[in-house]
Amino acid sequence: MFIARHLAAAALAVLPLTKAYAHPHIFIDAGLELIFDDQTKLSAVRVTWAYDEFYSLLILEDKGLDPDGDGVLTDTEQKSIQGFDMNWTPGFAGDLYALQNDMPLPLSGPLDFTATLKDGRLISTHLRRFDPAIAMTDAPLRLQIYDPEYYTAYTVASDPVLQGHTGCRARIVVPDPTEASKAFEAALATLGTDQTLDDLAVDNFPAIGATFAEEVQLTCAP
Amino acid sequence: MRTIALATGLVAALLVALLWVTGGLDVVAVWAAEGQRAFQNSMAGALRRLKAGDTGAVFGLMALCFGYGFLHSAGPGHGKFLIGGYGLGSGVRLGPLLGIAVASSLGQATTAIALVYAGVLVFEWTREQMVGVTEQVMAPVSYAAILFIGIWLVWRGLRTVRRRAGAPAPATPGHTHDHAHPASPDDVCDHCGHSHGPTVQDVARLSGWRDAAILVASIAVRPCTGALFLLILTWRMGIAEAGIAGTYVMALGTASVTASVALIAVFARDGVLATGSRFGAARAILPTLEIAAGATIVLISIQLLRPFF
Repeated sequence: MFIARHLAAAALAVLPLTKAYAHPHIFIDAGLELIFDDQTKLSAVRVTWAYDEFYSLLILEDKGLDPDGDGVLTDTEQKSIQGFDMNWTPGFAGDLYALQNDMPLPLSGPLDFTATLKDGRLISTHLRRFDPAIAMTDAPLRLQIYDPEYYTAYTVASDPVLQGHTGCRARIVVPDPTEASKAFEAALATLGTDQTLDDLAVDNFPAIGATFAEEVQLTCAP
Repeated sequence: MRTIALATGLVAALLVALLWVTGGLDVVAVWAAEGQRAFQNSMAGALRRLKAGDTGAVFGLMALCFGYGFLHSAGPGHGKFLIGGYGLGSGVRLGPLLGIAVASSLGQATTAIALVYAGVLVFEWTREQMVGVTEQVMAPVSYAAILFIGIWLVWRGLRTVRRRAGAPAPATPGHTHDHAHPASPDDVCDHCGHSHGPTVQDVARLSGWRDAAILVASIAVRPCTGALFLLILTWRMGIAEAGIAGTYVMALGTASVTASVALIAVFARDGVLATGSRFGAARAILPTLEIAAGATIVLISIQLLRPFF
C-alpha cells in the first residue's frame, strides 16, 4: 500500500487534471437568494437548481409523468415531483460550500423545497439556514457551487438576489480553467515529503475541487 | 511522402503533449462539457418529437448522438490513454490498432445495451442501480484491467531489454519514473553508429489477437453513463430501437476520437523508430517506448482507481 500511495502521488503530480477525467452528466443552472435577518446577519440562502432538458426528461420518464409529452403537469403530477431531488444521502453537502476567511460555515439540510416543470426543465428550490446567522465582515463571504465528483456541472446562471440588506454586493466569479489547474498544482507542491497522498486527498480535496468551481462572492459595506 | 507524414505525426503528438503540460486540455474538457450540455438539451427535444410520432426526428437524434459521443471523448479518457499508450509502446500496426479503437467503442455500446436491458427486463433495477453498477463495479474493473495492461507492457519491455543484454538502451525520453530503468549503458555494442541495426519492419511486431481482445475488453467493460441514460429514456418512452441505434452511433462518435489518437500514436512511434534506425538504435527504442508507455498507463490507471479505495 505504501508503494501504491507514492505511485498514486506521482501520478497526481504528473497529471494534474482532476476535472478532465470526469464527464458531467447532469447540467444545472444554479441561482442563489441571500436572506438577511433584521440584524443584517446572513441567516439563510435559497438555492435554485434548473436541470438540463435531458436529465429533466429522464426524471419525468422515471416517474412516468407527463405521458402526453406536452410539457404540462397535472396537479397530481405537480404534487408528486415535490422533493424529487431532496432525498439527500448522508454526507451529501448539497454541492454548496460557504466560506468566510477560508473557514467553512455550517449549513442546515434542505428545507422548504419546491419543484416545477417549465419549458421542459425541472426547476427546484430549497432553503439552507446558517446557524448561527453570519455577521458580515470586511472579508467577502464565498459561496462555492460544485460537485466534488463533477458528475453534475453547475453554472451560476442568474445574478444573486439579496433580501434584507441594502449595503451588500454579490458577484459571480467564474474560474479560469488554466488558472485553476495552476492552483491545483500549487496545492500539490505544498505537500511535504513526509505527507502521503491521503493527507492531500482527505483533508484538502474539497478545497482543490473548489478551485474549478463557480462561486458567488458577497461583500458588505461595514 | 512517408517522411512528411511521420514528421506531421510527431508534431501532432508534441502539440498534444504541450497542451497536456500547459493545462490546455482542461480548456478542452470545459469546452467539451459545454458542448455536451447543448447536445443533451437538443437530444431531449428530438426524443420528445420522436415520441410524439415525428419519425423524421430520428435523423436529428442520430446526428446529435454522434456529436455527443465525439464531444464526450474529446477530453482525456481511459480508452484514449490505453489506445495511445499501446500504439506508442507496442509494435502494433495502424490497421489493427484502428480496428481495436472502433471495436472497443462498439463493445462499450454493446455493454451499455446489455446492462440496461438486463437491468429493466431481468433484474428490475432502477436507474440509480444501473448507474451504480457502472460507476462502482464496471469502472474499477476496467481501470484494474488497464493497470494490468500497463504492468504487462512494462514487463514485456524489460524482458526485451534483458534478452538483448549487450545492446545499449537510451534513457526514457521525457519521463522521470523512479522505476522501470532500461538496461545499463555499461554494455556497449560494437556496431553503434552504423546502420546495422534492424529495420522498422524487423522491430515492429504484429501484436496478436490476445492483445487486441484484452484491450477491447478492458475498455468495453465500462459503459458510458450518457448511453445508459439514453437507453433507459428511450425504453421508458417506447422508442427502444432509436435508443439502441443512437447508442451505436454515439460509439462511432467516440471511435472517431480514439481512432485519431491511434493514428497519432502510431505515426509518432514510427517517426521515432525511423529516426532511430538511422543511428542503429531502433531495436533499443521500441522496448524503451514500451516501458515508458506502460509506466504511464500504470500511473494513470492508479489515479483512476484511487477513488475506489
